[in-house]
Amino acid sequence: MAGSELSVDTLKSALHRMMLIRRAEEQVIDLATSFDDLIRGHYHVYIGQEASGVGACMALGPDDYMFTTHRNHGHVIARGGEPSPVIAEIIGRTTGYNKGRGGTFHVIAKHLGVLQTSAIVGGCVPMAAGAAFSIKKRGTDQVSLVFFGDGVLEEGAFHEALNMSSLWKLPLIMMCENNSVLPEGRRQGEYPSSSFAATQLADVAKAMNVETHVVDGGDVREVAGLLTELAHRTRAGEGPFFIESRMTRWPGNRGSFPELIGGPHQMDWTWDPGTADARLQDWLTNSDPVSLLCRSLVEEGAMTREEVEEIDAATRKEAEEAREFALSSPTPSPESAMDYIFA
Amino acid sequence: MSSTMDITTEDKLDLLRRMVLIRAFEERVIDLYHRGDIAGLVHVGIGQEAVAVAVATSLLEGDYLYGTHRSHGHFIARGADINKMMAELAGRANGYCEGLGGSMHLVAAEVKAMGATGIVGGTIPLALGTALAHRDAGLVVAVYFGDGAANTGGFHESLNIAALWKLPVVLVCENNGYAEFTPMSEHTVVERVSEHCKPYGIPARTVDGNDLLEVLEAMSRAVEHARNGEGPTMVECLTYRLRGHYIGDPAQYRQANEVAEWREKDPIERLTKQLKSERALDEDAASTVKREADERVEDAVRFALGGEYLSMDAMTARVFG
Amino acid sequence: MANLRFVDALREGIAEEMRADPRVMILGEDVAVGGAFGVTRGLVDEFGHGRVINTPISEDTIMGIAVGAAVAGKRPIVEIMFVDFITLAMNQLVNHAAKVHFMSGGQLAVPMVIRVQQGAQGGWGSQHSQSLEAWFAHVPGLKAVAPGSAADANRLIRASIRDDSPVVFIEHRGLYFRHDPDGLEPGESVLGKAHIVREGSDITLVSYSRMLTECLEAAEDLAGKGISVEVIDLRSLVPLDIDTVIESVRKTNRLAVAHEAVVQGGLGAEIAARVQEMAMDYLDAPVLRIGAPYTPPPASPKLERAFVPDRAGIAARLHRMLSYSKEEGS
Repeated sequence: MAGSELSVDTLKSALHRMMLIRRAEEQVIDLATSFDDLIRGHYHVYIGQEASGVGACMALGPDDYMFTTHRNHGHVIARGGEPSPVIAEIIGRTTGYNKGRGGTFHVIAKHLGVLQTSAIVGGCVPMAAGAAFSIKKRGTDQVSLVFFGDGVLEEGAFHEALNMSSLWKLPLIMMCENNSVLPEGRRQGEYPSSSFAATQLADVAKAMNVETHVVDGGDVREVAGLLTELAHRTRAGEGPFFIESRMTRWPGNRGSFPELIGGPHQMDWTWDPGTADARLQDWLTNSDPVSLLCRSLVEEGAMTREEVEEIDAATRKEAEEAREFALSSPTPSPESAMDYIFA
Repeated sequence: MSSTMDITTEDKLDLLRRMVLIRAFEERVIDLYHRGDIAGLVHVGIGQEAVAVAVATSLLEGDYLYGTHRSHGHFIARGADINKMMAELAGRANGYCEGLGGSMHLVAAEVKAMGATGIVGGTIPLALGTALAHRDAGLVVAVYFGDGAANTGGFHESLNIAALWKLPVVLVCENNGYAEFTPMSEHTVVERVSEHCKPYGIPARTVDGNDLLEVLEAMSRAVEHARNGEGPTMVECLTYRLRGHYIGDPAQYRQANEVAEWREKDPIERLTKQLKSERALDEDAASTVKREADERVEDAVRFALGGEYLSMDAMTARVFG
Repeated sequence: MANLRFVDALREGIAEEMRADPRVMILGEDVAVGGAFGVTRGLVDEFGHGRVINTPISEDTIMGIAVGAAVAGKRPIVEIMFVDFITLAMNQLVNHAAKVHFMSGGQLAVPMVIRVQQGAQGGWGSQHSQSLEAWFAHVPGLKAVAPGSAADANRLIRASIRDDSPVVFIEHRGLYFRHDPDGLEPGESVLGKAHIVREGSDITLVSYSRMLTECLEAAEDLAGKGISVEVIDLRSLVPLDIDTVIESVRKTNRLAVAHEAVVQGGLGAEIAARVQEMAMDYLDAPVLRIGAPYTPPPASPKLERAFVPDRAGIAARLHRMLSYSKEEGS
């Protein structure tokens, strides 16, 4: 796999993004649980999935498009989004990417090519196909990448979009993030579910003549390697592609009300999972994409522990500043309530 | 009829009569449409009669049937009263639906023909629901849809759920090669609609839809599978509508030679020829079959055109009453 | 019935009907594990997975399945987790559920309940906070009810399940975990019957669902200023009990309608139009409509609070209404 060829610098920058997502999401959880009135509803964090989003976005160029879901915070940061306007958006401030109109479900950053974030399950797949259609009509070599969860395959609109993107050979990469796979199942095996009859998600796309891949979404090198190759082939007109990125759920991910078990991540846990809360140990050992990358970089001699911890400290600081930025930003005035209804 | 092995010559003659009746009904519908006695958007299935008759034959009395926008034949084959059907098409109060449904929304509940629909693929979920309601009663639900419906989300949602819940449903795809005016090659990547079944583990067969006995054989197995509690199946019937998408559609999107080829495969001609070769039917008997069908249809036309229209008061009272 | 929380009263109503009628079943995403708000919690233990059925995230097909089960003799309840997601099922709801009875000339009936949860509360943004009841009221063949109290939730869900037509049952998530105020007497709960919750003589204030609470509080505030407000809980939007409203307007000569939905094209417009058709001569002031401004629900909690009408805002507008004179205009 091409992933093994990533340079140390590239891997360092991937690690930085992954840690930045982790630390920013920790701030989000803390804001939601420490304040009554900042994030009052449910919300979804990307902890434990950082390698998938970062690896995929590493394959994108500045002009490419990206679409995402209710679990979008990490994707937007993976795409290069700044934690400050992301967190500001999540708590509804005017300095947020959507000026406080979108909130946790709908962070959009047009300047990064993040054209839409939908909280409707599967809502973005047709739109991503539409962006790909536009690329094809304009004849540019852009790529449209859409992230979605495995539940999307239960929605009809996904299949409609799948058929049309295959029929029209659209430059679309469909990244299905399946975050409920046991560690041993991330590379192979079937996916049993109580709500989906097909035991291989990719088979559905295969039936519509779409090339499919299964990737270990906990391994940023694998994801980046595969996506780089597929993005290249998409630009050459070989799309669309369907990828099932398999991940193992972070134990703190309790549906839409996540919990930081044992508090924010400590680097000691990465080096020695036995020092963490018992509920986290197995995940830290086998599945945490950040810990897996940190340990492998150190084992390979590409980085020292100290260098890794420096990156971590920098991202922690950045996330804390983002939190302060968001908290000190103004909320939209009621007088501005009628803005942005029509263009 | 549980298996095609048991089919006698008399059975085959009966199957032929039913196809001929459907054809006679629809040809007269076209005529009435052009005379202004029937209005609306009317879709005839001339050329697809073998599927209708085979599917109806494979079902038992207690089983359910759901149709599409092109369902006259489905309902007649199921045993619906053609008088009430014709009256419905003519918008009369003595029609099955009091003139409120029309051609596209026929319901003949008395023969468990539960509904046609103007929504492409729209009855597939309804069929699943009816199957769910009777899951433990040993009943089977057959639902028709076309190749165009295979591109609707509801079709894929239904494949998943039917498989997940092992519902006693037979998905009958009438693949006539066109979604309205668009050939299959332009609306989907699959060669056969049945390919969508594979990921969900739904057994599927593709058959010559103009060969009544072949459809009947496949349907009988599918119905048995469902009745045994083994879950859904699909029977994809490759067929062709010899007329346009709706009455009045000049169908200029099709090549003359393509239509001519399919005329050669006309299911009525085929079965007639077979029966003649088996010396079960001669020219006179064939004419009699046709004449009897025409007479029944004429009775239906008289019944229909003699019917009254529903009053506005009765119509508004129907919304919740 | 003891003073239960809305969510518990609703669940108890469903359970009572399920006990009484084996045809009643529930389908929806996560319903067998209690649903997103716990309405169906525990029902699977009593009634089993054959009647409390978890579904994939396939709203349109689930709606169609319920229609198909209803015409074949069941009485299904469909839970749509957020009303916003009913957009995905409008095909089956509008094209089949609402009109199969009519189109079949009465051969088929569609006895089903579509439970939806709606309302702007919690800053959940534009796709999880809408109030869409006016859509349902506009489609012939759908009934729609929106209880504002736990007592009504219990009685109206039972009436809805027993009804032979499709009923959209609108729940407000801001009500789920509330008890009814002491002394609230629900009166008779049947579809199509409004209820005068508070009698008054100066202004008729019509509302439903969670906004009823704000209206009652506003009426209390105004009472302290000597203004007597008659508060009517519509409860049932289709059929609409316009007679009760007209009768009240003949007494008070002023009408205000308050709902959380966007004012434009909302139920308030329908009520205002009917009242001016039927009781124009009794009105001393234009009918006042109170509701959300013409925007999607915003995510920002601060904007959201401004988006939803509240006690103080309602009281202030009613107060102003009293100073209207026909000669001077407002």
